[in-house]
Amino acid sequence: MTTTSPNQPATGEKVIATWNNRIRLRFVIRGSGPALVYLHPAGGLFWDDFLARLTEHYTVYAPVFPGTSPDDTFAIHELDDIFDVVLAYEQALRSLGLENVPVVGQSFGGMLAAELSACFPKLFTKVVLLDPAGLWNEQHPWSLDFISAPPEQLPGLLFKDPTAEGPRSMFPQPSGPEEALDQAVAGIWTFGCMAKFLWPVPDRGLRKRLHRVTAPTLIMWGEDDRLIPVAYADEFGRLIPHSRVEVVPDCGHIPQIEHTDHTYATVTDFLAEH
Amino acid sequence: MKVTYIHHYPYRHLPEDFASRYEESVVTNPYFELVDPKLVHEDLRSALDEAMYAARAGFDAVALTEHGQSSYDMNPNPDLGAAALAYATELEGIETGIYTVGRSLGKSREPLRVAEEQAWLDCLSGGRLISGFPVGLAYDANVNAGVPPIETRARYDENFEFILRAWTEREPFPFNGHYSQYPSVNIWPRPVQQPHPPVSVTGTGNPNTTRFALQRDLGFNLVVLGAAAPNTAQRIFDDMWRMADELDLDDNPYRAAFAQSVVVGETDADAERLYAKHVEYSMSRGVGHIPMHRLALPGGISPQGLRVLLGQAMSAPTGGQPALTYRNLVESGAVIAGSPATVRERLADQAHSFRIGHLLANLQIGSMPTELTQHNIDLFSTQVLPHLRGIWSDYDGDNRWWPERLGGRPVSTKQADLTGARLT
Repeated sequence: MTTTSPNQPATGEKVIATWNNRIRLRFVIRGSGPALVYLHPAGGLFWDDFLARLTEHYTVYAPVFPGTSPDDTFAIHELDDIFDVVLAYEQALRSLGLENVPVVGQSFGGMLAAELSACFPKLFTKVVLLDPAGLWNEQHPWSLDFISAPPEQLPGLLFKDPTAEGPRSMFPQPSGPEEALDQAVAGIWTFGCMAKFLWPVPDRGLRKRLHRVTAPTLIMWGEDDRLIPVAYADEFGRLIPHSRVEVVPDCGHIPQIEHTDHTYATVTDFLAEH
Repeated sequence: MKVTYIHHYPYRHLPEDFASRYEESVVTNPYFELVDPKLVHEDLRSALDEAMYAARAGFDAVALTEHGQSSYDMNPNPDLGAAALAYATELEGIETGIYTVGRSLGKSREPLRVAEEQAWLDCLSGGRLISGFPVGLAYDANVNAGVPPIETRARYDENFEFILRAWTEREPFPFNGHYSQYPSVNIWPRPVQQPHPPVSVTGTGNPNTTRFALQRDLGFNLVVLGAAAPNTAQRIFDDMWRMADELDLDDNPYRAAFAQSVVVGETDADAERLYAKHVEYSMSRGVGHIPMHRLALPGGISPQGLRVLLGQAMSAPTGGQPALTYRNLVESGAVIAGSPATVRERLADQAHSFRIGHLLANLQIGSMPTELTQHNIDLFSTQVLPHLRGIWSDYDGDNRWWPERLGGRPVSTKQADLTGARLT
């Protein structure tokens, strides 16, 4: 499927067989220019304004996490742990020729970007981690309670100001009961799929592996993140050798939606650095 | 009909303002702030005393559930209480079943221990064990035991297969599972009952669980909560019997069991006077005070199952559930209460409309003290139970969900079939 429109230069999808054909990994591909990999958060792939702007300069490849596509929900049972995910993704990226490209990962996607970079240090040229998951200690405990929070509480957990336009755009009203049911089923199952690699305590030992990341890394974090405390920004910075940390004031868990201009500028400047 | 005495092990002394001060009766309710250790001792002792009292009163079995980190049921492993009851009933020569309704396999990380404990209970009781293997509530399997919700059912399937093999295989065998590995499985003892004790699974309405029970020829227990419970239960049993018909299975009512709270007084008014506050305690401080996210978590139910359950919830009439008062619960039939005549009529109607051969009668509710529980057991066992026994007597010769020693028949080969249906 390929369509074009003035705002979205190219829209397409590719399905890549990976993990010995047990997974059909679907990539949403948009934009033009050099390739960039985007790894989405636990809530699923949402094509926000930040991504739309990136497509003006990059061809964004966004794999959709196995099991979270409504027509392929049982794919999740082919992946047992984070290493299965890393290997399945690496193989799929390689078969698309996506090596030596930058990666941007948000939350769960940030953890996955960090894992991929630690296991395959030459895979990515640059790494951007936006409020990534993957570290946990008792001084700054955080939980996965958000996956079972009542839907009306979720915006308040994700954003500093859930009433702003960007945050509101993330939660479109369903057109009717049928769509509401579809949305509810898909949303709950998506959280369930991602939680497989975070539950019950979101720490799979990433701390031990981060020293292996050799690509220059930008860590951005909303100062008022209510899901994953901003204290982990410095810890990621400390553990990843060539990294810098950028804390975004007055911002919750998703800087790219809550402070799109600033996040876009910071990320694209970082990607343009030599 | 077989009638089992079932109860929780509640802490019976929570303060009246519990519901307003604490979010839930599980997981986060603070122990030291709420508890007098002497009273915990007393409550556990009372629970076992009451179960023995029921066993002496002639119930067909005494049953135990499993709920960890909970004040409404301080029962982290039913095999503990079952061991005490198995021994005590042996001592007194009481021919009653020991029914571990809840030994959750979605929760268990040590299936070898489950197989061993249950086999041990079957041996100690001389073949009186009925094994219940529920999936496990979300807060218990996923929060208390830390199992990722999406793995709960797959873990159940593997544990279930493992336990059947551990019970039945003649020779030691290695087990290379997804969730557990054992180089040599050769449990001592093996169960007395051959090929193994009857097994049941508990469901709360997920059609996958109902289908699994039917396809494996397991007993199916239904537990539903809230004021709408009787309507929900009717729908689920109707679905079950329709499914059985579609699968070309018999309609033997002993396939099905229902857990029902029952309180009996001399008159209807007497029942209200005696029990209302204890039933309401259970609603505001016990099972009625568990938030939705403790009962279900994302990943625990497949998208197909979710569609059914959410679809039903979303199409339900709005306006909220009626308040969980004694009167509302009795009026809706969620609690069956009243004089012996009222109670036996309602239970008989229910047995027929649900088509259930097994009743799990919950006679200790919330803060009910021992004397009152014994009073309830007395009235039930003398004036209600005898009237229920004859229901479904045409099927008494074919109850393959009950120990042989207690009048049942050996389980069908479908139960022990390792290639049988799975829950995932």
